[in-house]
Amino acid sequence: MSAHAASDEAMLIAGIARGREQDLAEFYRRYQGRVYAFLLRRMGDAADAAETANEVMLEVWRSAARFEGRSRPLTWVLGIAQHKALDRARRAASRPQRAETDPDTLADDSLGAVDLIARAQDAERLRHCIEGLPEAQRAVVHLAFYEDLGYGEIAAILECPEGTVKTRMFHARRGLKRCLGGTGEDEASA
Amino acid sequence: MNAAAHPDELLPWYANRSLGEAEHAAVEAHLRGCERCRAEVEFLAALREQVQRAPAVRMDEVGLQRLLRQVRREQARPRRRLALAAAAAVVIVVQAALIGWLATREPVFEPLGGPAPAGVVLQLRFEPSATEANIRALLEAQHAVVIDGPSALGIYRVRLQGLRADDAGAVSKALADFRAARGIVAEAERQ
Repeated sequence: MSAHAASDEAMLIAGIARGREQDLAEFYRRYQGRVYAFLLRRMGDAADAAETANEVMLEVWRSAARFEGRSRPLTWVLGIAQHKALDRARRAASRPQRAETDPDTLADDSLGAVDLIARAQDAERLRHCIEGLPEAQRAVVHLAFYEDLGYGEIAAILECPEGTVKTRMFHARRGLKRCLGGTGEDEASA
Repeated sequence: MNAAAHPDELLPWYANRSLGEAEHAAVEAHLRGCERCRAEVEFLAALREQVQRAPAVRMDEVGLQRLLRQVRREQARPRRRLALAAAAAVVIVVQAALIGWLATREPVFEPLGGPAPAGVVLQLRFEPSATEANIRALLEAQHAVVIDGPSALGIYRVRLQGLRADDAGAVSKALADFRAARGIVAEAERQ
């Protein structure tokens, strides 16, 4: 985003802080889809993601006055989304969770680079493999490849050290390769 | 960067073009001589391309309208608080007159902070427009004595004399009578 666009969006947030509903509506139009996409990738459930995205936008309304402009609006709003997703996960902690793939337990079929690339281009297979990753790794993959964010911004959103972001990405890549290199029967739950 | 070491952990961010200038240049220099890392970048680029092909999320207009309704409700809250504060201020004026009246009628007013009151206790909030005479008449008609209040929100506690706590029918009727006193009682609840 250009500095000009970032400044426009900072003004939008300032408008929200002053209680201007039309600025909130504009912010919603710009970001709701990206917030929802992040939450859906992270949470894996469309209804939970939609409900949490609504909570995020309500929080934007409540806390716009605290936006200091030190980060991009996207980083700020995805940081709120991260918090809301964690809150919801804590609330649901007593409910049974979907089994996640532990990359270390997956068989490594040692496919060659060309085959791996071909399989990464198989959208359905890749989606299945991404869904099998642990939630924290899915978030990093999404922020890096859907939002094209740098590791520093991802660390700011997830409130973790940059090294942790890199480590999660490392494990995600390994998990994806193993899943893509599998038989396709049910690698994600192996 | 050590030319012999693979810049493995930076490759995803090389693939999404988010590296800073120095790191980008270092990775690029490494890639020129490393087939393994070039293949990895190709894999990551394919991964990125597929992730970005996820169907775009359509603007949820219904969700926006729901959000705006929630926001309006939140905006109304501070005004309601102000209204309550204004009501409390009026109630305090009424209370001054009420206490003057209570002081002449032993034992209708009981000191605050005493033991928990026995019998049926109601919480009442009076309308800002209610006069001391109206409130007094209502309490007398209902055989109610003020035992506490007003709180910061203008809530009084009153005890219904001659009513047993287990007489649910009589208590419900008394509550209904207080609630029906329009222009005098804003809220009435059993404690």
